[in-house]
Amino acid sequence: MKTLDSVLDRHQVIVCAGSGGVGKTTTAAAIALYGAQRGARTVVLTIDPARRLADALGLHEVSGEMGGGERQIPISGKGSLSALMLDQKGAWDALVERLAPSAEVRDRILGNRFYQHLSQSFAGSQEYMAVEQLCQLHDDGNYDLIVVDTPPTQHALDFLEAPQRIADFLDKNVIKWFVKPYFSAGWATFRFVNRTAGVVFRKLEEATGVAALSEVSEFFHAMGGLFEGFEERVRRVYRLLRAPETAFVLVASPEEQVLREAEHFCRTVAELHMSLRAVVFNRVHTGYSGNGHGADREHLESLLARVQAGAAAAALAENFLRVEEEARGDMVRMESFRRGLGKNVAVAEVPNFAADLHDMAGLAQMHPHLFTAAA
Amino acid sequence: MIRELFDRRLLVVAGKGGVGKTTVACALALEAVRAGKRTVVAEVDGSGRAAALLGAEPLAAGESRELRPNLHVLAIDGKASLQEYLGMVIPIKRLLDAVFSSRIYNYFVAAAPGLKELMTIGKIWYEAERVDDTTGERRWDLVILDAPATGHSVQYLRMPQAAHDAFGAGLVARESRRVLDLLRDPERTAINVVTTAEEMPVNETIEMQEQIFDELQMPPGFLFANQLHRAEFARSDVERVKAAAAKLRAREDRSLLREVVRRAQGELGWAEINASYLARLRREVDLPLVEIPHLFAEEFGLEQVREIAGHIAHAAASLASKRSAG
Repeated sequence: MKTLDSVLDRHQVIVCAGSGGVGKTTTAAAIALYGAQRGARTVVLTIDPARRLADALGLHEVSGEMGGGERQIPISGKGSLSALMLDQKGAWDALVERLAPSAEVRDRILGNRFYQHLSQSFAGSQEYMAVEQLCQLHDDGNYDLIVVDTPPTQHALDFLEAPQRIADFLDKNVIKWFVKPYFSAGWATFRFVNRTAGVVFRKLEEATGVAALSEVSEFFHAMGGLFEGFEERVRRVYRLLRAPETAFVLVASPEEQVLREAEHFCRTVAELHMSLRAVVFNRVHTGYSGNGHGADREHLESLLARVQAGAAAAALAENFLRVEEEARGDMVRMESFRRGLGKNVAVAEVPNFAADLHDMAGLAQMHPHLFTAAA
Repeated sequence: MIRELFDRRLLVVAGKGGVGKTTVACALALEAVRAGKRTVVAEVDGSGRAAALLGAEPLAAGESRELRPNLHVLAIDGKASLQEYLGMVIPIKRLLDAVFSSRIYNYFVAAAPGLKELMTIGKIWYEAERVDDTTGERRWDLVILDAPATGHSVQYLRMPQAAHDAFGAGLVARESRRVLDLLRDPERTAINVVTTAEEMPVNETIEMQEQIFDELQMPPGFLFANQLHRAEFARSDVERVKAAAAKLRAREDRSLLREVVRRAQGELGWAEINASYLARLRREVDLPLVEIPHLFAEEFGLEQVREIAGHIAHAAASLASKRSAG
């Protein structure tokens, strides 16, 4: 079986994607740790790690600033490992700061209520900012290896589509619509211009109260000055996601719903001309590969009786057979998923460890399953 | 006790991604139908999970379907809900068509922060309170919401308050108030949380408790601890087998027993993790706790949902008898 060794050797950016609850954060941290132990100057950009993993990564009280909030984690080996936690609001503010043509425009945007809402909870905002921070880390050039954990969205795709959505959002033609003529000249004028739209806007006005909409208008006025820089930035983001040095790693568990979303993800990655290089199956139940009548209940129970299992024999046999059943299901689902994958996609299976993996030793436990060289 | 839950109009089922929210939502629906309630399971964001688990083909955005008497699924979509709502506010079809096809409208819908969430939660309110025009009866007895993953759920539940605060006057503020009244009314609503007994889901559950029950003041229902492992053998049994197996002569037997031991240790490991996090849930979360065992199955489908429905009914009944005894 091909594992992730060559993916690590050939890429500078590794993006771990997948549905929520499949172990993305842990997998990203494990890959980063391995890269660092093998000598790379490594950074892992994480979104929402479990408290104990955050502790292990030194991230307990971090509110990461753009490019400045990395924490160094002591590791054995030649390389280095840093961790950075995504700070959505901070990343937006930093972006506005960088792109705003003047301090006056910057302050107008940062102080706008609509902007404040947007930067915290606009759908796709967190996803976009993860890519934005990735870009920043890449541009800084301080690392040989950047591993990105993506936000826990229900649909892993949100991550890929977020930059485009944000670009559409700030599209100059649309901004024109919002800024001229009705917002700037007052809505009353506009109603004479277009009766249909006039009715709609009167309804919107009734519904929302004009004050709220004028905040929106104000926001777009201010943003008008920096959308060109923003468009360029989004193009840059997509260039990096499509670059040959960038590899996508899909993290999944062998469950039906998860794999259904994963298939959709694979298709979209291909459509967007990005490269899926590996799939990591987490929490896999491995079947027993012994030959003969290995999984037969009677045989198991008689064998267990011979080794003084006593009253526990039946329960131990039952437990073995239940896991075998889960393993069979996992196997069938993974097999059919694999058939749809390209030949050059590496596949790793990480077993269902009977432990929460939340420290460096736990992460290292994953290595033999992710990398052949570590086995 | 579970019957009391079904006397509400809206049950929200929330929790971290991957813990089994949809399974619990569907299991609750089966029990509600058994209790004679006309029930609808609402899914949001085009997840399609509830429909799939109940053995139905995927629903189109905004579609509802009857799966059997008294059991419906409904796919709620923010944009479709907004169109439905505007259809009620602006009852002129030609005008509406012009609105819906205009670029600025579509742009506004996509861009307005929180609008999708507000329309979704508004639609849920509408369904929970909906009265049939012809019969004058309520359309559903019970709406069960299979909520999105925690972070998103909280965003949805927060929306009516945010909209109410942001738009001090006007229609949106008035409508938001009504939605908020429903969400905060313990007679009509219960917010249930599903978790597994592991580090991250338990952390999220505890955070959620603060956000939903303390801060937003919404009425709690049950806490469902899902996928619990409970080894039916002791560590000493496993150790004994391990020692004896090493002495066996036949290599095949040794390797088979090694695997038996490995799997038994795995189950014991999970059982210990689950037990310690269950204890933490009991200490830190102030909701009646229903324990649901991990189901070993090759495939997860309607049969498993039925089994879980049985566990929930049983656990809730024993919780109730404990309460009346204590």
